[in-house]
Amino acid sequence: MGSDGTAAKQKILRALENADTNVSFDDVLEHDMVLNMGPQHPATHGVLRLLLRLDGETIVSAVPDLGYLHRGYEKIAENCTFHEFIPHTDRLDYLSPLANNVAYVLAVEKLAGIEATRRTQYIRVICAELARLASHLVWLGTMAMDVGAVTVLLWGFREREKIQDIWDVLTGVRFTTSFTRIGGLAQDLTPECSAMVTSFLDQFADNLNECEKILVRNRIFVERCEGIGVITKDQALQYGITGPILRACGVEHDLRRDAPYLVYPELDFHVPVYHDCDVLARFYVRVQEMKESVKILRQALAKLPEGPVNAGDPKKVLPKKEHTYGRMEELIHDFMIINFGINPPIGEIYHAVEGSKGELGFYIVSHGEGHPWRLKIRSPSFVNLQPLPVMMKGGMISDVVAIIGSIDPVMGEADK
Amino acid sequence: MDNPPSTSKSMTPDSQPPIIHKKDLSFLDRIYIPQIVNGLRITITQIFRPKFTRQYPEERWTPPPSFRGRPVLVEQNGVERCVACGLCARVCPALAIEVQGSETELLKERYPVKFEINMLRCIFCGFCEEACPEEAIVMSQEYELTFTSQDDAVFGKEKLLMSVEKLRDRLEFLRKNR
Ligand code: SF4
Ligand code: SF4
Repeated sequence: MGSDGTAAKQKILRALENADTNVSFDDVLEHDMVLNMGPQHPATHGVLRLLLRLDGETIVSAVPDLGYLHRGYEKIAENCTFHEFIPHTDRLDYLSPLANNVAYVLAVEKLAGIEATRRTQYIRVICAELARLASHLVWLGTMAMDVGAVTVLLWGFREREKIQDIWDVLTGVRFTTSFTRIGGLAQDLTPECSAMVTSFLDQFADNLNECEKILVRNRIFVERCEGIGVITKDQALQYGITGPILRACGVEHDLRRDAPYLVYPELDFHVPVYHDCDVLARFYVRVQEMKESVKILRQALAKLPEGPVNAGDPKKVLPKKEHTYGRMEELIHDFMIINFGINPPIGEIYHAVEGSKGELGFYIVSHGEGHPWRLKIRSPSFVNLQPLPVMMKGGMISDVVAIIGSIDPVMGEADK
Repeated sequence: MDNPPSTSKSMTPDSQPPIIHKKDLSFLDRIYIPQIVNGLRITITQIFRPKFTRQYPEERWTPPPSFRGRPVLVEQNGVERCVACGLCARVCPALAIEVQGSETELLKERYPVKFEINMLRCIFCGFCEEACPEEAIVMSQEYELTFTSQDDAVFGKEKLLMSVEKLRDRLEFLRKNR
């Protein structure tokens, strides 16, 4: 451990020194200093550690240090059946657990060649969009608080609380939902629950406008966000950034539209794109996205078809409970699926969805067993954190919090 | 990567508001006094709005039937329904359940001699309930769990058994929605 620790430290120090500056790193009398931000700093949104090299208040270079929340999920997956891994996906991007559940089962279904029923697909869209709203609301609150607007934090969390009340009825818990199943869902969307979603949407637009109004013409907010954390369109593409940050750089890229999955092609929505490349543009993209999510939710609720929730594939999808109690065949399938897994064919697939942070993808290699041979998670937060040094260079120390806030990283997902 | 081909749903410039830059702020926005007044107004009007919070220990929350509280064993006619098949222990992603089965004179033929759930491990995922072929383990409405030691947190059969009457809501919900 000791030598590894030293090596890592050396690497960080070298990265800091390599920044093109003529101030030497060893000379203590130079007014150059290294500031260690995090991993417990409240403005770093979780356990992100940042090493900043400062000249006065100007950032000469920055190095993000990740991995404090590493739980080895990719390795854990190799020892679970596909079904057992579902609760682990809740804990990736813990601000939008439902969206992760959906992304994961879509990947497994693609691997196993199962197609979910129409009703399930619509309910999954509702889940994913509610998760996007919840995640963006936390982002709105925390980012506004990072630049000094505490009111919006409380308002954002109030709205999110209402979404979590919906999840409580829909999935049975507020947070770690584990809601989707391979080939279906844990339970159906009840009419009471869709009524809850509708009444939430009815009041949400006003509340969101209220939050928006308090910020957009506020001089302090605008001044702290404008021209900060700039990353050009080309750089953004080179780093592989996805999601709202990319769309704030003028790239019109949204997997919901460009690589359609579920029933998104049947829904009408607009992909907000801004060209300013700064923190302010990211704010606008996400706020507009919330409004689009509301539109999608309304359409999905209106179009929600009747029908079964679970696909009729007895060897791969868990049977209906009442049949398990009474019929031999279903009982055997229940035992087989739980004990040995669904044994998808040998092969490998990648499936990505547009999560709230960007492209959330699962790459699965199957050797025809009940558990994945390898499971790789392409987590948007991890990739989006990489250009931090570019965004921060030349900025002031107070910009750091605004930039991190605008990236909206969730360390559960970045560190996996 | 090129820009993706624009489809019929491509962006229409007028459907999204333009960014308000610093140069777009009016004189009143710049001097900030109206903002301060507005801020005070918000604070004061907030006092008269309905409260959103709950005074928790005094005001209790009643969970909906879909709620996944702590898992319990269903007790019917004085005995547990469980037949110690071990499926719940197999599916549990947190490895929280331990079952040891044995034979009995009753119609169900097998019963659990020992059934333990370590509540410190349990993540309330509800997989055990979903897998059980006997409707013998279900998620109850109880969500208040406190322990004073790690041993307290390992619930044996005596703590897990709950009569079927108490679980009526949940069982009905499951039959309808699963
Ligand atoms: S609820 Fe989940 S974690 Fe808890 S005992 Fe059941 S299967 Fe295990
Ligand atoms: S799955 Fe049901 S019957 Fe089997 S051991 Fe668990 S509780 Fe008992």
